[in-house]
Amino acid sequence: MKTIVIAVGITLTIMANLSLAANSGDTLDTVDPEADRLALQEHMQSRFPNVPIDDYINGIYALDSGSRAQWEEIEEFPPYEFDIEEGEMLFNTPFTNGKRYADCFDNGGIGIRQNYPFWDNNAEIVITLEKAINNCRKSNGEKPLPWGKGKLAKISAYMAFTSRGNVFNITIPNESALAAYLSGKQNFFSRRGQLNMNCASCHVSGTNILIRADRPSPGLGHVTHFPVFRSKWGALGTLHRRYYGCQKTVRSTPDPMQGKRLSNLEYYQTYMSNGLVVNGPGSRK
Amino acid sequence: MNKYRALTACLAFIAVNAAATSFEDVFNTNRALHGKGNHFTFEGNSYTTDHPEEIEAMAEATLDNAKALLISANKMHKKAKALGYGWTRTPAILKSAQKALNKGQYQRSMNLSAQAKYHARMGITQHNASAFDWIMFVPE
Repeated sequence: MKTIVIAVGITLTIMANLSLAANSGDTLDTVDPEADRLALQEHMQSRFPNVPIDDYINGIYALDSGSRAQWEEIEEFPPYEFDIEEGEMLFNTPFTNGKRYADCFDNGGIGIRQNYPFWDNNAEIVITLEKAINNCRKSNGEKPLPWGKGKLAKISAYMAFTSRGNVFNITIPNESALAAYLSGKQNFFSRRGQLNMNCASCHVSGTNILIRADRPSPGLGHVTHFPVFRSKWGALGTLHRRYYGCQKTVRSTPDPMQGKRLSNLEYYQTYMSNGLVVNGPGSRK
Repeated sequence: MNKYRALTACLAFIAVNAAATSFEDVFNTNRALHGKGNHFTFEGNSYTTDHPEEIEAMAEATLDNAKALLISANKMHKKAKALGYGWTRTPAILKSAQKALNKGQYQRSMNLSAQAKYHARMGITQHNASAFDWIMFVPE
């Protein structure tokens, strides 16, 4: 009897592994973004059953009450407040040709953060909000701004602020867009660097598990609060600046900010946050 | 009868998995346990626990050998980087290897080049492994 139980156990283990590989969607034919999104939500709910999905916009503060209490105190006088004001001023300052950022965006650039990134059918690339801001500058004869921090992060923060409460609604309109999504998904789960880690090592399986004194945030809702004012930076920074830092932390040569790989990664991650609301800019450790 | 069938299936499973232990697994286990410069046997043959790059660095410490190893390490690093799997410490190690070469410290240069080349090779290995194993980390 005992041997039968062992044999059945082994068989079930093999079958479980096979079904994992079969259903995960690693090709254009099998990938199903909506199934991925629901699976990530289910994973988080099974690990943290008392945390409502909507609260994941608050990152690690949704899971760790101690950190949350400190963060709520910080948010009473948000460190990004002046950056939003400066971002607004920059956003409304006309270019040399007299045009403004508002002329480049739907709805004058107000309340549109939830639609970024999107798939550009003509350029065949993912357009992030920061890329759209710099494209706007270039098309009006201005020099592009550096990707990681400074003026670009402030303009992006202001645009996110005007979108607070709007629900993310990222679409995948065609097969090329689906390929970009799949590439982002693969990047998220591919181990790299001398530490041999993938994004999921910290932000899926390692969420809320202490790494020295820090608890990694959940991958669900990651993008909703960017750009963020990080205490470590002492300034506002973009999502791609954070990606860059993460890759360096695992001792992997970082991908260029706003390059194809990181833009696709943002596309995948933002799709995972569909249904959650914009709450950027945020403050983090 | 069923009991024996199950037992046979179980034993067959264990046997297949035991046979599937690769040279790489055995090498890595022995390397982790004993470090470099040791020996182990695999399928009746004896092997050392040295990485191929370390064996390259055991060549005579001459200007030509040091140069050749540094060139091949640089090449390997470029290849890893092109795949998006470069490691951050490798450029600094290559720089140190070049400095040692300039100072005439050939053995030191060769050791550093070997380390950098190993990093680069591991980056490429990581790229190849990730191409098929990433899916195993996706929550279902």
